[in-house]
Amino acid sequence: MASKAGTRNAVTSNEDSFEALFSAEYGRVAGIANRVLADPHEAEDVAQEVFIDFNRLHSASAPYAAAWLYRAAAHKALNRVRGRRRREKRELSQAMDEGARTMDPQHMLEVSEDRRHVRQALGRLAPKPATVLVLRASGLSYAEVAQALGVGIGQIGTLLRRAEAALRKEVIRGTSL
Amino acid sequence: MAHLSDGTLRRKFDDADSLTESENRHYSACADCQSRYTTLANDARAVAGALAVPDLKVDVASAFSRVRSAPAAQPRFGIRLPIVRPASRPVMGVLAASFVVLALVVTAVAAGGPFFQPKTVQVVPVSVADLQSLNGLGDFGTLTWTTQPAPQLVTSATEAASVSGLQVPVVTLPSTVSHKVTYAAMPAAVGVFTFDAAKAAATAAKAGKTLPAMPAGMDGSKLTVTVGPAVVEIFGNLNIGAGNGTGTTTAATPDPSQLALPQLVVGESSAPVVTSSGVTTQQLENYLLSLPGVSANLAAAIRAVNDPSTTLPIPIPIEYATSSSVTVQGVGGVAVGDNTGLGAGVIWIKDSTVYGVAGTLKQDVILDIANGLK
Repeated sequence: MASKAGTRNAVTSNEDSFEALFSAEYGRVAGIANRVLADPHEAEDVAQEVFIDFNRLHSASAPYAAAWLYRAAAHKALNRVRGRRRREKRELSQAMDEGARTMDPQHMLEVSEDRRHVRQALGRLAPKPATVLVLRASGLSYAEVAQALGVGIGQIGTLLRRAEAALRKEVIRGTSL
Repeated sequence: MAHLSDGTLRRKFDDADSLTESENRHYSACADCQSRYTTLANDARAVAGALAVPDLKVDVASAFSRVRSAPAAQPRFGIRLPIVRPASRPVMGVLAASFVVLALVVTAVAAGGPFFQPKTVQVVPVSVADLQSLNGLGDFGTLTWTTQPAPQLVTSATEAASVSGLQVPVVTLPSTVSHKVTYAAMPAAVGVFTFDAAKAAATAAKAGKTLPAMPAGMDGSKLTVTVGPAVVEIFGNLNIGAGNGTGTTTAATPDPSQLALPQLVVGESSAPVVTSSGVTTQQLENYLLSLPGVSANLAAAIRAVNDPSTTLPIPIPIEYATSSSVTVQGVGGVAVGDNTGLGAGVIWIKDSTVYGVAGTLKQDVILDIANGLK
């Protein structure tokens, strides 16, 4: 009986930890996915999948939890970009909504086209440079990016520089950056 | 002083105070470094602008409620594979193949008495049509685990050994294989499969099929299966979408299409043990081999297994893989694949332990690795 109670307490404690982890990190995880996808709805889908995956395999109190979530969000979102086609219509519609509030029609089209080209270019990069760009652009510190990628903090500047040059080169193929 | 590296200059862009005093002195006097800085700063600004998105507003409470209400994946037989979506086609193929194994095991039980404990391996050729036409095991009864399979990713060989109670094989890697390793381990699991005539008939009726009647006494009879313990070492970058940042444990359940194949997988498991109760094992064998999904060729192949009481059958889809008998670590084994480097594997049993080595390597290399395991 005592062991059953112990098990129940352990389960409750893990659920509490997961809820705390979710509350603390969901916004940032969804933000990383949104940085890649430029689509809030799809970004939240990705973020929720990432948490479900995490909860299935890991303890919420694991010291690597946040780093795992950040990297998973970037990878999963990048995978979606690489496979997507259907998103493009929605992206155009979203850009037009934004544009209707703030921009002239010509600018609306430019925003939509630029976003599309940039995301396509991001999807063509190798996983590591694409991830370093996304995580840094999402506001992670050098230390956090390094932890998420499993590399030394001293490598981040070099990785960022190479990734930015590579992205710019990819984007220039289709449009001006 | 040498010029500042691109990495150092890039960091300066994010943190103007990041340069040391000597780096600052050099930078102030070096037109080359200043020019490179201007270029990379322009790139950094352009990329930041390109990746800019409107702020995301999220409702954390409702998102958490959606995550909580998401149905957990319910894999068949209760086994959850850590890096493969349970419903994916390859997994279903493997599960269908498990039916073939069960039929073979039953054959073994029939011939060898109440215990089945394999000492060697043998190929049973199956076709994809065979696999697709077979019913899932779950259609014929209910599997309950008295000890749940609990495969888990662990952080080290020591932890893998502790979880499984097995000694983790020491692998001598060729220079072409990544040293990045992920460990998985599982304690022994015990399941009891209970045949259920009513469930079998109902499932068949739904599919518009009629099953032969179960022999008397089979309904409610039980097979007790013990699998594991087991350890697996996975070498290579799996691109599984996540990692803990320290490189010790990586796992997720991403789309299988996005997974990178591991370069090499080395597994070790205690040989499975099966006992049967209730119905005679001969009856079980005859029934399973008479089911509509089992082709005459497959039934013949199953019956052709040498000494089934001590043979672990390895179903090989004949359309996709070639197999051959090999000697590994001084015992007979089965090798699958070829020397193209696309993929090869070998499986053998030694001292009541099943070993497997597979990867995207040439068969020669796989065999060398298998022979070199310690």
